[in-house]
Amino acid sequence: RPRRQFVEEAAVDFARQHPDVVLYVSPRAGPAPLLLAEYLNGTVREELIASKTSEEIKQLATKLAGQSGLDIIRIRKPFHTDNPSVQGQWHPLTNKPSALTIQGPRLQPQ
Amino acid sequence: SPVRRSEKPNWDYHAEIQAFSYRLHENFSLDLLKTAFVNSCYIESEEARRRELGIDKETVALNLQDNSRLAEQGLSFSRSYLRQCFEGAYPDLPAKGVGALVDFLTSQELVSYVAQNLSVQDLTLCREFPVPADVLQRTFFAVIGALLDSSGPEKTGIFVRDFFIPQLIGKDLFEIWEVVNPMGLLEEELTKRNMSSPEPRITRQLGVSTVLPLYFVGLYCDKKIIAEGPGETLLAAEEEAARVALRKLYGYTENRRPWDYSKPKQGLAAEKAVSSN
Repeated sequence: RPRRQFVEEAAVDFARQHPDVVLYVSPRAGPAPLLLAEYLNGTVREELIASKTSEEIKQLATKLAGQSGLDIIRIRKPFHTDNPSVQGQWHPLTNKPSALTIQGPRLQPQ
Repeated sequence: SPVRRSEKPNWDYHAEIQAFSYRLHENFSLDLLKTAFVNSCYIESEEARRRELGIDKETVALNLQDNSRLAEQGLSFSRSYLRQCFEGAYPDLPAKGVGALVDFLTSQELVSYVAQNLSVQDLTLCREFPVPADVLQRTFFAVIGALLDSSGPEKTGIFVRDFFIPQLIGKDLFEIWEVVNPMGLLEEELTKRNMSSPEPRITRQLGVSTVLPLYFVGLYCDKKIIAEGPGETLLAAEEEAARVALRKLYGYTENRRPWDYSKPKQGLAAEKAVSSN
C-alpha cells in the first residue's frame, strides 16, 4: 500500500528536511486517507491521498509545506508596488497654470 | 464554539515549540521559550483546578514560572530599539513623533495581529480562549525577551526590525501621529530652522460656487513655495498644506527611500539600549 510505504520511508526524510513543519501520523478509522495541512494564519487544507503513490504523496507534502496560508484565488495583477508615484500622482490640476503665476493686463497675481 | 488547538487531536507541545523556533530561523533556548508562553492567569487557573480536584500541593508541584519578567524585558528592548531606528532614519522627526510611531508599533492591535499570524495563540497557555489581545501582546514580547536572553541583542534587533518595521508600509505619518494644530507645529519647526513664518495663498481653485469646491492652498516662506495642499474649504486646504509641509520637513513623504534592511544595526547601540533600561 503506497501510504504505508510513504509513512515508513519518506515521512522521516520529509520531517528532517522541513524542521519547521510538525508531521503527525495517526490512524483514522474513517472514509478516506487525508493529508491535512494547517497553516499559521488558520487556513486548513485537506488533500485526498487515496490513490497516490508514495512519490506523489511526498511531492504533495513538499508543495503544501512551501505554501503560505493565503487563500488560493485568482491574482488580479502579477505586480505590486508600495511607491506607485515618485514625482506625485497626476491630478487634473497638475501642469495647469496656477492663479499666482498668470501675469497679464487683466489677471493680477494675488 | 472555538476550541484551543491544544485540545484538538494531533498535538505535541514540545515538537510544536521546536518547529516554532526553526520556523523563525532563530536559535531559542527551549526552556526560556516555554517559560515565555506561560501566562500568570494560566498558573492561577491550574492551581485552582488542582485545589478543586483535591490534589495535594506537595505531590504534584506546579513549578512553572510566568512570563512577566521576559515580557517586560522584551517590551523595553523593542521600544528602545525601534526608537533608535527611527531616530537614525528620520533625524528631523521630533521626539513626540518618534514616540507616536513607537507607540503605534507596540500597540495591542498591531502586536496581536502579528502574533496571530505567527500562530503564537496556539502555543500560549492562558485561561481564556480565544486569547485576548493584551495577553497575545504580552506573550509576543515575552518571546522577544526569551530571544534576547538566548541569542543576544543583535539578533533580537534584527528580529524586531523584520517583524515590526514592515507594518509601517503604506501608512502615512499623520495617520499614526495625531496632530491637532499642524499650522502651529509648522511655525515652531520653521522658527527652529530660522525660516520666516509661512504665508498661505490660494494657488488653484475649482468649482467655488458649487457644492464641492476644491481649493489648493500654497504656503510660501520668503516668497518661495514650501508646500501645497488641497481641501474642500479654505481652512481645510490650509491645514492640509501645513501637513504636507511638515511631511516634507520631517522627510516622511510618500516618495522617500524605502527602509534599509541591508546592514544590521551596530551592536554597540543595541547594548547601550539594553544597559540603559
